[in-house]
Amino acid sequence: MTSIEQEPLLATMLPRRAKRARNAPRPALVHSILAGCLYVFFAVFLIWPILQIVRTGFTRPNGALTSEYFLLIFKDAVLVRGLLNAAAIAIGVTLLTLIISLPLAILSVRYTFPGRGLLNGLLLVPLVLPPFVGAIGMQIVLGRYGPLTQLVGGGPMGIDWIGKYRAAGVVIIEALHLYPVMLLNLQAALANLDPAMEQAAANLGAGRWTIFRRITLPMIRPGLFAGCTLVLIWSFTELGTPLMFGFYTVTPVQVFEQITEVAGNPVPYALVVVLLLASSLLYLIGKVVLGRGFDATTTKASVAAGSIRLRGWKAALAAGAFGLVFLLAVVPHVSVILTSFSVTGSWYKTFLPAHFTLDHYRQALTDPLALPSVRNSLEYAAWATAVALVVGFAAAVVIVRSTIRSRWLIDALCMLPLAVPGLVLSFGYLSISIWLVKLWPVKFHHPAPLFLNVQEWPVLMLVLAYAARRLPYVVRAAAAGLQQTPRDLELAASNLGASRFTVLRRITLPLILANLIAGALLAFAFAMLEVSDSLILAQRMDYYPITKAILDLSQRLGDGLYIASALGVWAMVLLTLTILGANALLGKKIGAVFRL
Amino acid sequence: MRYVYLVLFAIVLGLPFAVRHVAMRGQTIATEESNSLRLIIVTVHNGDIRREFARAFDAWHRSHFGTGVVLDYRVPGGTSDMVHFLQGRPTDPQIVWGGGDYTYYHDLQPLGLLQPMHLDPRLLEAAFPQDTLAGVHLYDGTKDSRGTSTPQWVGVALSSFGVVYNPQLYQTLGLSTPAAWADLANPKLFSLVALADPAHSGSAAVAYMMVIQRAMADGEADFFKRNPQLKALAKSDLRKRPDYQAAIASGWKRGMGQLLLIAANARYFTDSSEVVPTDVGRGEAAAGMAIDFYARVTEETVGPDRARYIAPYASTAITPDGVAILGHVSGPQLELATQFVEFLLTPEGQRLWILKAGVPGGPVERSLRRMPIRRDVYTDQSGWADHFNPFEEAGGFNQRGEWMALLSDTRPIWDAAWIDSRDALLDSYAKILKVPDEQRRAELLRQLADVPITMREVEDRRTERLRLEAAHADVNLWSAQQRILWGGRFRAHYAAVAKNAM
Repeated sequence: MTSIEQEPLLATMLPRRAKRARNAPRPALVHSILAGCLYVFFAVFLIWPILQIVRTGFTRPNGALTSEYFLLIFKDAVLVRGLLNAAAIAIGVTLLTLIISLPLAILSVRYTFPGRGLLNGLLLVPLVLPPFVGAIGMQIVLGRYGPLTQLVGGGPMGIDWIGKYRAAGVVIIEALHLYPVMLLNLQAALANLDPAMEQAAANLGAGRWTIFRRITLPMIRPGLFAGCTLVLIWSFTELGTPLMFGFYTVTPVQVFEQITEVAGNPVPYALVVVLLLASSLLYLIGKVVLGRGFDATTTKASVAAGSIRLRGWKAALAAGAFGLVFLLAVVPHVSVILTSFSVTGSWYKTFLPAHFTLDHYRQALTDPLALPSVRNSLEYAAWATAVALVVGFAAAVVIVRSTIRSRWLIDALCMLPLAVPGLVLSFGYLSISIWLVKLWPVKFHHPAPLFLNVQEWPVLMLVLAYAARRLPYVVRAAAAGLQQTPRDLELAASNLGASRFTVLRRITLPLILANLIAGALLAFAFAMLEVSDSLILAQRMDYYPITKAILDLSQRLGDGLYIASALGVWAMVLLTLTILGANALLGKKIGAVFRL
Repeated sequence: MRYVYLVLFAIVLGLPFAVRHVAMRGQTIATEESNSLRLIIVTVHNGDIRREFARAFDAWHRSHFGTGVVLDYRVPGGTSDMVHFLQGRPTDPQIVWGGGDYTYYHDLQPLGLLQPMHLDPRLLEAAFPQDTLAGVHLYDGTKDSRGTSTPQWVGVALSSFGVVYNPQLYQTLGLSTPAAWADLANPKLFSLVALADPAHSGSAAVAYMMVIQRAMADGEADFFKRNPQLKALAKSDLRKRPDYQAAIASGWKRGMGQLLLIAANARYFTDSSEVVPTDVGRGEAAAGMAIDFYARVTEETVGPDRARYIAPYASTAITPDGVAILGHVSGPQLELATQFVEFLLTPEGQRLWILKAGVPGGPVERSLRRMPIRRDVYTDQSGWADHFNPFEEAGGFNQRGEWMALLSDTRPIWDAAWIDSRDALLDSYAKILKVPDEQRRAELLRQLADVPITMREVEDRRTERLRLEAAHADVNLWSAQQRILWGGRFRAHYAAVAKNAM
């Protein structure tokens, strides 16, 4: 059986799968019903929001269709520059993650050295730390009189890192956050590579560089494509980091600013349509450049590649490379930790804070915004995880266990939230809510129910948005579990007279419990950290989730930044435990969860 | 072993709630036991203000009426969030507290959300010996049929907008203490001025308007100097005179130019006006335009060598920050609500805004550093956290309602000129600053400040906007198109000046 955790999503879309499906037996009724429910879920919570945005961006206030808002964007020099800047940032981030990840991937797959396992695990940590919390830390590190200036020694005017290198700062922060995505995809591709090819090339006299260029690189293209696409789209639509850096001329920030500026303005919706089109374009370009003519079967290893053991200074160098990248990636977070413990205003013109205190933690506990936001986030994330778990498990069953022909489509739909910008989806929900609230009284002669009105009670929409966005992790984790569980066990139970439900309860669920918990943990962690949905959907302070509270606090006068840092530290500890827990439960397969 | 992480996860998750529960246990019981009355207040005020006033009002009510009161706050967010919250006409809150006169006049009063308050006339007279501060009304002028003042809202504190600067950086740059808005246009401050985006920050927009209004007032003063005999003329007659109009319009244009040079020094245009004093305190910016108490709180946080506030003499808006009773309140709740409003106007309530923390009658935890609205409390400033007197600082100048009407239509022009065309502006400015000859440089800066727009055009824009709004036309689209046009016009202007500088 093809193992999903070994193969990127695209492989599941290949024609050979469809061919095999044609010869398969008729799908079970349960599976068909599940598939039907899943299609309804995706139609309502994934496709409708996207269509709704397109509609709003092309409709005048009086209901007439128009392309004027859309065309206006291309006439507006500032919006065009925002698009170009966002694209430049995305390309910069992708290249930088590639530069960081490719050598590390080769090192970790081809060689062994002391500490490889631990270092490889540590490299994943930045992924679960919210990048915009990192941006708070980076603002301090890169302050005019901040630690970096103290390190390199600035004049009396200090060094204006952020003013001079704003865009570079955004690129570096995002790259240091996103390189694990690239790394995991490259590692998978390299591990799947058939060493016979390279050996043959070497036998024919090819040098190392030639082998890398002519054999290795072309053969890891699927992993390269998956990694690049994910990073490219993620960074193209990233809102939190540029917002924190005060880099306003990028499309996601412009969308966010415009929606908070004027209510009922259709221009940001048209802008989101452009964003979606541009994302699709980037995806297609990536596919043409990297994904062309690739067939998953050729990348499947027939023999396991033996890894070379490094010793002495070579081993130290390899471990050093891993350690360096990890240290760089956690610099912003260390800075947030130090900020949370430093006396207000005491980190000025010194390398480390001059005075330390626990006061900010005490304030975080009593602040009317901080702790309630933690409670809100826990509540939203818990519900979202429950929804994602039910839907994700159902989807995994259909994908792995059923013989339904269109199961590749369900797989693709499950992965769609990874490719569709968070901003697009959250905007879609917002737009649906506004539309329903307006339409309801006309059709039903009383105001829309509270749960549909995102501006009054955003909880339902937030939960659904979080669930939809984090579905891929649960599906991947559950599918991996199902594939490892021999079908025979379930069949044996059935033969002995157990009902479907009993089989599910007594055999399937216990066997894949660890996977489900791991998937749930990751879904929960990412729901706690969700930025775009939170910023756009939670518009009332009493419903702020933790991410919006951190952003709000960090801009508040006096000790706001410090309380925000304390909250950030708590979130970091919780999420590091989450990924370590998921890692312990899933073992090596943790990487599969982050793959496209 | 592998479930250890799950246990740790659960512990970290529950820790803050457990600690809070233990820490808060004693406090809650104390307040619940001893208080029987409760007043629900919708507010935009920060936690310090809420806490200190809750404490002080409780004590005041105890000593005057024998019972304590719990203030139960609802905090929907910023001013616009508060208005949005109140639009839903919630029935539990009794008081709305905080927000400028603009919010009360233009949002809450027209919606019919407030009721006429029957306050002690002697208190009202003592608190407001004059209704206005340099022309700005300090409370609502509603009167009942017998001519008794029954305001729908009253001001309880004052806010001004001024310059916050970092004295250390100023010293390093060799600059003297700023005293006027124009000081922010000094080329030495290139990329060192923190400004708020006028599209997002209403208070910043008012401050920018004040720079223009000051120049307009100067234009008017020049006009009267040339024509002293016309000073006695009624405003309506003056406005009909083309020479008067021309003097005002030239002042408007000068003000816009001055603002443009300040904008050329801008480090950014943040959408949160609280970032401005914070960045000045951190040394990221040397100066910025900020609300007085934001700046003063920052000064308290980081020390006066890193953040200081000055209100430019006779060129800042000093506006009241209000309180009101919601329309549906009646019976004993109305009585309690009225007592709260009256407390805010007593000398005790007024001094709480400004006394140092720990001083008798002052705040317990942290000084609030806001300006009282009662003129008489300024006579004795002992124990105050700051020493000033807005009634003198205003210098007889404050915002003028008829000029303020242009604000909504000037805001998109600032956006087009400063933010949308920022690269072109900076390019042109940088080229000018490189010109070695001082005189020529000054001439080029004058050219740059000669904005490609007139006051008449802004007035026309306003007329057109009102017409479109009345016709239910697509104003959003029209505004966006206008903004693109203005952006193009300003970029052409910057390019032309840059060419001259080459």
